[in-house]
Formats: sequence, structure tokens, C-alpha cells
Amino acid sequence: MAKQYDVLFRLLLLGDSGVGKTCLLCRFTDNEFHPSHISTIGVDFKMKTLLIDGIKVRIQIWDTAGQERYQTITKQYYRRAQGIFLVYDITSERSFQHIMKWASDVDEYAPDKVQKILVGNKSDEVDKRQVATEQGVKLAKAYGMDFFETSAFTNHNISETFTRLAEQVLAANKKDLDLLRTSINDELNLAALEEEEGLCDSAAGDQHKGCWC
Amino acid sequence: MLEHDKIIDGVTEKILLEKEVGVEVARQREMKWIEMFCHWDKWVKHRFQKVKLRCRKGIPSSLRAKAWQLLSNSEELLKNNPGKFEELEREQGEAKWLDIIEKDLHRQFPFHEMFAARGGHGQQDLYRILKAYTIYRPDEGYCQAQAPVAAVLLMHMPAEQAFWCLVQICEKYLPGYYSAGLEAIQLDGEIFFSLLRRTCPMAYRHLKKFKIDPILYMTEWFMCIFSRTLPWACVLRVWDMFFCEGVKIVFRVGLVLLKQMLGSVDKLRELQGMYETMERLRNISPDTIREDILVQEVSVCVSCVLQTAYIKLVSVFTQRHGL
Repeated sequence: MAKQYDVLFRLLLLGDSGVGKTCLLCRFTDNEFHPSHISTIGVDFKMKTLLIDGIKVRIQIWDTAGQERYQTITKQYYRRAQGIFLVYDITSERSFQHIMKWASDVDEYAPDKVQKILVGNKSDEVDKRQVATEQGVKLAKAYGMDFFETSAFTNHNISETFTRLAEQVLAANKKDLDLLRTSINDELNLAALEEEEGLCDSAAGDQHKGCWC
Repeated sequence: MLEHDKIIDGVTEKILLEKEVGVEVARQREMKWIEMFCHWDKWVKHRFQKVKLRCRKGIPSSLRAKAWQLLSNSEELLKNNPGKFEELEREQGEAKWLDIIEKDLHRQFPFHEMFAARGGHGQQDLYRILKAYTIYRPDEGYCQAQAPVAAVLLMHMPAEQAFWCLVQICEKYLPGYYSAGLEAIQLDGEIFFSLLRRTCPMAYRHLKKFKIDPILYMTEWFMCIFSRTLPWACVLRVWDMFFCEGVKIVFRVGLVLLKQMLGSVDKLRELQGMYETMERLRNISPDTIREDILVQEVSVCVSCVLQTAYIKLVSVFTQRHGL
């Protein structure tokens, strides 16, 4: 299958079990919401291509199991991410409190340059709300992150959230982006980019400056 | 039983195709199993090969629950611990486990009639046995992969029996798989990948090329004993063999699946990328897997090579990880 994109990068969904990470992802990539679905065991991922600033951006979104004991597995993938969604459930105070722990794990295991965004999911469940919007705003401000309340069920703020994080990752990698722009009509370079998946992986472990990952 | 020629991966292999076992045959099998139940200890001690063969042929569904309990020894555990399950049920349990368990109840086999209804019998029983386990083994607590395993057991037997069967799976069959840290499953992932290198170098090279770590696809396969992966008829056949022969069946099924999906140039041609390959591995199309062929392949899966390789690898890896 030919790869129809200019750049590829990885985003990671983190947050407690049951906050709706998989549902957010399904809504974003397939525009589907399944009230009946199964818990995520291990790691899964989906892809989607966005057009941002005239650049075809292929994003690979990794979905993780939320239970703490899976973190020994999922943490291995933090360092491969350029952007991270920290997701809580507005109907669960506990999941909101745990954001601090998730954020500190990200600081420890993800690359310094990683972009983060705070997401309060299940905004449609007004009656069960335990976390006020202001609390989310405040926390996001403290961490210097953007913040969205979303609903995978009603499709509220889903593409906005994913697009915003993708834009932030692009902006954070502006230098590389400019390089790409100057060479965008260069077939050789584009061909090289098509192999990028492999390159990214080999560069993921070290601080390869020229690579997107 | 009919003998058919079947083309598998371009090689003609004779396989025993059990095509819709007739009523007569089914009845005969049931009689054989009932006879075994009557003298179970003797059968296991002196004629284990025969028991194994019969498990590979598939346990009659009417007797499956009893057979699983005998094979796993959970029946004896239940006998030796009368009233224990009730006692565990009376305890309150720790909130941190109950919270996660409750979130998982409606996320197991949501289309199975037993588990479809919120708060229905299936979900209630699932809660009972998962909670009981966290009290039985407070050091282990609850792991999310235990839920689908427990659900499969509940499809076959009452909660108390299912509980002891779950205990045996967690402690005897797959020790450490569900423990905090998940070291055992990661270790088995590495061992699995090394075995793949010996048994199907083509699949091994492909996965290596695209940097697809074993943990990305085998975590769910192994931890849920393929209950979320294979067509239902295959799940039952795999579990029949698993209860009899143990974890090696899980390894073999995994190897057979990889061989079937990634074991030829033709198949790899369509999978030119990490994403395409992962998609294929995570959504195994039911019509690519035939129950009888799977069982056949698992049975002949170069067993002695695997066994020696496995033992060697376990010692290498455990040393390396200082376990």
C-alpha cells in the first residue's frame, strides 16, 4: 500500500481504566461509538491522516490499557510518542486526581519535547459530573497544557482535540517541518520519507535530531 | 472420521477432518469420557497419552465443564475447601480492586447473551468470582485480563466451580501472568519470539523488520488464552488442549497463527508496513482459521524441537532477568 503522507508521528492515549480512551479513538478514526465494547488489554493502535497547513500528517494513535499493572508494558512506548493525551472521566473524581500521576510518569518516561493535552471525557453525562470544567481548566493551566472536554458518545470536541494536539506536535517540530517544506517537491526526499516508519523506529531509542520521532 | 487431503501453505497434508461429528460418534465419545470420569485418577496416571489424544479431538460439549475441572484439578481444590468461596464472598474486598472490576463487567463478551445485560446474572457472577479472587490472593489483586478468562469459565459452570478453575489457571497454568509488574508475560513474549525464529524464520524476520515487539500482539492472545482472538469453536478446542497440556498449547497456537498469517511470501506482500501487519494480527479473520486445521497444526507443531528449545530459553531468560 502506497503511503500517502508527508510526515508521520505518534500520539499516545493515557488515563485510568474506563475513562473512554478506546471510545475517543474509535470516534476519531472511524466516527463510530460502540456502547458495547471490550476492555483494552495491552496496547493497540489506529491511524488517521489529517491535512494541516497543507501538510499531509499521518498520525498513529496508540491506545493503552489503563490499569496500573499494564504500565510496565505501556511505559516502553512513552518514549516513542511525540504527543500525549491525558484523559480523565468527568464523572470520576478519582480518574481526575490520577492525572497528576500520569503526568509525572510522562515527565519521567516520555521525550522532553513531547506535547501534552488534557482531556475530560464523557461531557454528555451531565447528571453524573464530579469534576467541574473549571477544575480541568485550572489543572491544564498549571501544567501549561491545552484542555478540552469531550464526548465520544455525542462526538463533542473529538476532532478538535486530536487536531489540536497534532498541530502542537507540528509546531514543536517546526525546524524539521521547514526542512520538509523546502524539499517537498523533491521526489527523492519524499521517497525517503515513505520509508520513515522504519527510520523512526530505529531513531526512537536515541536522540536523533533530524528525525520526527 | 473422514480423511481428507487438505492444502495448507502449498503443502498437501493428510488431516483428520472431523466433519460434523455424527450423533453416533458423539454418543460414543460421551460414553468414553464418562468412563474416564469414573476412573479418572487411573486414566491420568497410566493412560495420560490417551486422555491427551481425546482432549485434542475435542471434549464433548455436554461434559466439557466436568472435564476442565478434572484436568485442572480444580474439582479437588473445591472439595478440599468446602465453604471457602462463600466465606470469601462475605468479605468486603478492597475498593481499589472493586472499582476496576466494576468497570470491566460490561466489557466482556458484550454480545454473549449471558453478559449482555448490565447487572444481569452473568455480570453478577463475574463480579463475585473476580472479587473473591482479590480476597483469596490479596497480594495479586485483580488484573484486567482475568475477566475474559473468568467469563469463559462462567459460560460453562457455576460461580463456585468457575472460581476454583480460575485459581488453577492463575496459579498453576499461567503463574505470574496476572501479577503486578506483568514480568511473566513479558518474559514469555521474548521466549515466544525466540521460538518463532526457529519455527518460522520468515514471520520472525518480518516482525523484526517492522519492529513489532511480541508484547504488541501476544499480550492479549496469551493473557486471555485466545478467548478474544479465535472463532468460538476454536477457542473451546484450544482450551480443551490447554487444560490437558498446559501453557505450551498457548505458545503453539501462537506460533501456528503467525505461521498461517505471515508464513509465506504471498501473505507478506500485502503487509508492507507495521500498521498493516498489526491490523492483520489483531483482527484475525475467522474464515482464515479452521478449527480442525488449527488443532492439527498445533498437534504436530514440531513438538520435541520446541520442548528442548523452550527449556533452554527459559533458563537463559530467567538468568538474564535475574529471576
